[in-house]
Amino acid sequence: MDVTAVLQKLEASSLAAGIRDSLYAFPLIESVHVIGLTIVFGTIAIMDLRLLGLASARRPFTSVKRDIMPWTWMAFLLTLTTGFLMFITNAPVYYSNFQFRAKMGLILLSGINMLVFELGAGRTAHRWDDSSSPPGSAKLAGALSLLLWIGVIFMGRWVGFTSTRNVEPAPDVNLEDLFK
Amino acid sequence: MNNFAEWLAQTQASLAIQTHLWVIPAVQSVHIVAIGIVVGSVLMIDLRIFGLSGRDQSLEQTVQRFSPWLWGALGVLLITGVVMVTGEPVRELMSLSFWLKMSMLAVGIILAVTFQSSLKRNAIRWENSAGFGGKLLAIMTLFVWFSIIVLGRLIAYDHVWGTWSLRPIT
Repeated sequence: MDVTAVLQKLEASSLAAGIRDSLYAFPLIESVHVIGLTIVFGTIAIMDLRLLGLASARRPFTSVKRDIMPWTWMAFLLTLTTGFLMFITNAPVYYSNFQFRAKMGLILLSGINMLVFELGAGRTAHRWDDSSSPPGSAKLAGALSLLLWIGVIFMGRWVGFTSTRNVEPAPDVNLEDLFK
Repeated sequence: MNNFAEWLAQTQASLAIQTHLWVIPAVQSVHIVAIGIVVGSVLMIDLRIFGLSGRDQSLEQTVQRFSPWLWGALGVLLITGVVMVTGEPVRELMSLSFWLKMSMLAVGIILAVTFQSSLKRNAIRWENSAGFGGKLLAIMTLFVWFSIIVLGRLIAYDHVWGTWSLRPIT
């Protein structure tokens, strides 16, 4: 089965139709998506800022990480679920939307960034755990993570302006002014 | 209010935002980034109150760690919020969601100030174990912030309030 057929099948599903037909479902799903993403971003930012030595610098890195991780993953699951529910209501349009693709790409990149960190500086965390200034590669991972997730938020918001909602037209140009 | 919104929409500042279509999405995104900082901070303080996270650090240390970020992010929210109201006055001011959100924001700020002053006065009692009142305050705070997010998003869907919506019929 090709992608187009899968997308059409998702869009035609009774779940997607139910969300589309309801006056309340989409706004509420979107609201829960925003709650989830603020938890994802807010908690990841705590860890990124710790890596950069800009916040929680006196608390060991592994403690900061342990504090947030379960909540970050739970919230990520929530945004994934609600994101999927929104996606199926208009699957082919989202799929071909540039901002949506960019958002997915940035999420993928931040996953790769996390993996690189875990396999690199993260493995020697016990050596710099208490340091307020972690090694350069750890700082870089923190900075990249912060930038990538901010990018995800920007792209996500932009999807809403390019797929489901019409951007308001610019004020009319007064033609008479052009001939003065 | 409708007259005020119509007047605001004709001001230079509003027209400048309206003619640059990228401003609203960009400012909305910054607004979401800032609310992420607020939610992250409130969540960590609340989890500490419940003893679910960061138990090796005192509540006072936890609050000191997060409150500058919390108040700083609130400042960013206020500024970006003003820009959005200026750019789309009718959309914002003529929606029930907006005014409910502002009411919840007032409650949220009262709760935060109550918590911080109570912690200052009864630091030892808070430290040993947050009683029923403390836990209730923590839950209410988180609920208020989540409801602020929901109401903020509902500004775009004010029709969910039906005839209660303030949106002028066009």
